[in-house]
Amino acid sequence: MTGWRARHYVSALANAPKAARFDRPMRRLEGVATAIGLHRKMLRKPLAGVLHAIIFISFFVLFTATIEAFGSRLFPGFSLTPVGGETWIAILQDTFAVLMLVGVGLALYQRYVLRPARFKGSSGSDAAIIYVLIVLIVASLLFEAAARILGGADGSWRPVASVLAGLLGRAGVPAQETQEICYWLHVGAILAFLVYIPGSKHRHMFLAAPNIYFRNLEPRGTAPAVPRERENPGVDTLAQFDWKQQLDLLSCTECGRCQAVCPAYAAGLPLSPKMLITDMRDALAAGPSAPPLVGGIISEATLWACTTCRACMEECPVEIEHLPKIIDMRRHLVDEGRVSPGLQDALSNLTRLGNSMGKPSKMRARWTGELGFPVKDARSEPVDVLWFVGDYASYDPRVQEITRKVAELLSAAGVDFGILFDAERNSGNDVRRAGEEGLFETLAQSNIDAIGECTFNRIMTTDPHSLNALKNDYRHFGAAFEVLHYTALLAELIKAGKLDLVAVDGGKVTYHDPCYLGRYNGGFDAPRDLIRAAGYTLHDMPRCRENSFCCGAGGGRIWQGDDGVTERPSENRIREALSLGDIDYFVVACPKDKVMYTAAIDALGVADKLKVLDIAELLVPRTPPPREPVTSGVDII
Amino acid sequence: MNILVVLRMIPDSAGELQLAEDGRGIDREWLDFQLNDFDDHALEEAILLKEAGGATVTAVAIGEGANRVLQMAAARGADEVIALQAEDDAMISSRTIAATIAATARDKSADLILCGVQSTEDVFGQLAPYVGAMLDWPHVSGTNRVVADGAGLRVTQERGAGVAVTYEMTLPAVLGVQTASKAPRYVSGSKLREASKTPIGRAALEPSGFERSAEIRELRLPAQGGSGEDLGNDAENVADRLVTILAVNGLTANGLARK
Ligand code: SF4
Ligand code: SF4
Repeated sequence: MTGWRARHYVSALANAPKAARFDRPMRRLEGVATAIGLHRKMLRKPLAGVLHAIIFISFFVLFTATIEAFGSRLFPGFSLTPVGGETWIAILQDTFAVLMLVGVGLALYQRYVLRPARFKGSSGSDAAIIYVLIVLIVASLLFEAAARILGGADGSWRPVASVLAGLLGRAGVPAQETQEICYWLHVGAILAFLVYIPGSKHRHMFLAAPNIYFRNLEPRGTAPAVPRERENPGVDTLAQFDWKQQLDLLSCTECGRCQAVCPAYAAGLPLSPKMLITDMRDALAAGPSAPPLVGGIISEATLWACTTCRACMEECPVEIEHLPKIIDMRRHLVDEGRVSPGLQDALSNLTRLGNSMGKPSKMRARWTGELGFPVKDARSEPVDVLWFVGDYASYDPRVQEITRKVAELLSAAGVDFGILFDAERNSGNDVRRAGEEGLFETLAQSNIDAIGECTFNRIMTTDPHSLNALKNDYRHFGAAFEVLHYTALLAELIKAGKLDLVAVDGGKVTYHDPCYLGRYNGGFDAPRDLIRAAGYTLHDMPRCRENSFCCGAGGGRIWQGDDGVTERPSENRIREALSLGDIDYFVVACPKDKVMYTAAIDALGVADKLKVLDIAELLVPRTPPPREPVTSGVDII
Repeated sequence: MNILVVLRMIPDSAGELQLAEDGRGIDREWLDFQLNDFDDHALEEAILLKEAGGATVTAVAIGEGANRVLQMAAARGADEVIALQAEDDAMISSRTIAATIAATARDKSADLILCGVQSTEDVFGQLAPYVGAMLDWPHVSGTNRVVADGAGLRVTQERGAGVAVTYEMTLPAVLGVQTASKAPRYVSGSKLREASKTPIGRAALEPSGFERSAEIRELRLPAQGGSGEDLGNDAENVADRLVTILAVNGLTANGLARK
């Protein structure tokens, strides 16, 4: 019956396109061990983590009782007694039966008293049925043992059951019959549980481990390429998703951790990563009778709401991959030309001019004009560091000031650097994540060609989004560059004694981890080192490092309107910073952030309390920038 | 229906215009060129007509970057694309374009010609009427809706103050499109890449046969007069300066109250 109830899923998975998830078995197993054995992600929420761990361990211990229950009647003479079934196994069962009840008690307390918002949209009845079944199984187990003791069995290894036996005795119930009733109750509840599981979120008991095992081991920042055998770039039916993407749908525990961290959900947009998964799962179960996927099961507004911040995937305890699905469905929309006017403008500009602002390429390096020294053209002379400046840092007048600061810092540290001038194009990071794979390829190829013409050792980017594309996405074309963010290079220069700072007695600041620098590329420490090196005291916000909260600009969101937004993610974030108390500066390390957060502070009317500064603005070099960049001391190969 | 669409490349207005050495034109060498917006709508209208009732669409482009735009037209659904050969560094008069289009229309047995109502290099919107006159076909300009109706068309023309007029026209005809019935669609990069294999036909410009009626003597960039002040582009300083200027001139709330 269990198999019958799972048949739709089995056939869907069996017919799904292939996915390469069989490599590196040891690393895969290791991940399963830490995720399940240590409950690593689960314990980020202490109460939920602990109660789940209790239920989880109890489940394994009590499984011995299940073996006994079925074994003893199916194979006459079967018993665990020889291996300690009546001694140490008995006391374990006895103890963990109680612990299981404690665990379920905590779960009930969490779900019905604390009621965290992340459960909103999860199936309540599903959870309730499972609680009832577990309590039934455990209670019948205890009472069966109690009845046995009442009937004369040895109770010394079962203290809890012995107490219950005393109660039963006082109530005057017949031992033999009670034992028999409890036994069948126990077996019946277990069978009901098994039959119930395939249609419920408790499938995760069986699927969590495989889903974690088959997780994506590629770098976090590489968006999955369009498989060669796919006819169109996008996906518009569930069957086009490969088997791992479909397995994801079946493994969801409805825990809502993803929903709780989603900036789009918090902003009031019609996207909950949890419901994205469960809606598709239900459609998978419904089979051919389900409405069309894109625009039906998952609305266009839902797909466009995502900032691709990756918080959901970071948080998911069973390694479900929300983003590849969103990107694949966006690819379908883009291929059909179904894009919002704002996005269409940006993409058309990018197609035509290589930047989203619609500015001519020739104006890209205009910011260098006001610099006190010339910047090398990396296309015509060798440089140590090739600086990939990025659209915002190049064109946006609000950010150009910071770009010049970075140039001055590099110059003060004697770094031999150059830029691509009008040969640079948008990196395509967000173009790719907006689902425009073809345009991404054009932009990437154009950059790779331009970079290929230059002689350099390393690439530095101002923009975390460019960093991610150059470092991770360009591998798709066989381009392996050493790319680092300017914060990493500056921190390195300070450590090497090449950049000497005037340390001020700065005030308290907080720092916002950009998604594409932190969560995607692990750049958590360099920015913090720089802040300290400049003489400021860092006070992190509650949501920092891996748990940073997105500014709302990524994945092409910056090109779309604010329709339907009840609270902008950037304003939510500024409120978080304000709640820290006496913070002077809100420090950022991404050009888009300067724009987003300055606007948020203005919108909230708190410009007198908090100011947005880029890290580069905190750093004051001791030596004034020389007129010419120093080229000595750097080897050029 | 055989539709011919005219696609003109014009200097990108976001770029910086500089005068040519003789002072009688703009220096086109360093400019980026882009498709005239109205022509983009003309193309969309043609594709919409094709989708609604079937038609063959031939796109003819002229100017620097024509090939790129023609690939885009093919990706959007044009059946044949032709680039007009012209000297890159000169503006081509609407009369010459009109003569060439008229010849191409005869050649391709077109029965409907669509072009943008105007362009920055044809601010009077002369192209459509010229073509109409040369072919002796009826012409309507400023359209914002075109629907195939039996053997003819129902064409809506936008006039001022929310007034719109609908004409019933028989083919052949020439239309100057202001806006297409639906905004021009987005073509994805992958479709563009596919379309980059489309063969692009070539055609030469036809002389218009007209005498030149006037000539440009001199072009000048807008002179910086004393009445304006450049406040720079740094938002904070600009705002401060603006407030100060308003205050000095007694135009702020306080200032007004004082008056
Ligand atoms: S990537 Fe970020 S915005 Fe998108 S669904 Fe996940 S948490 Fe939400
Ligand atoms: S997708 Fe992952 S985090 Fe989200 S509800 Fe399902 S199991 Fe929980």
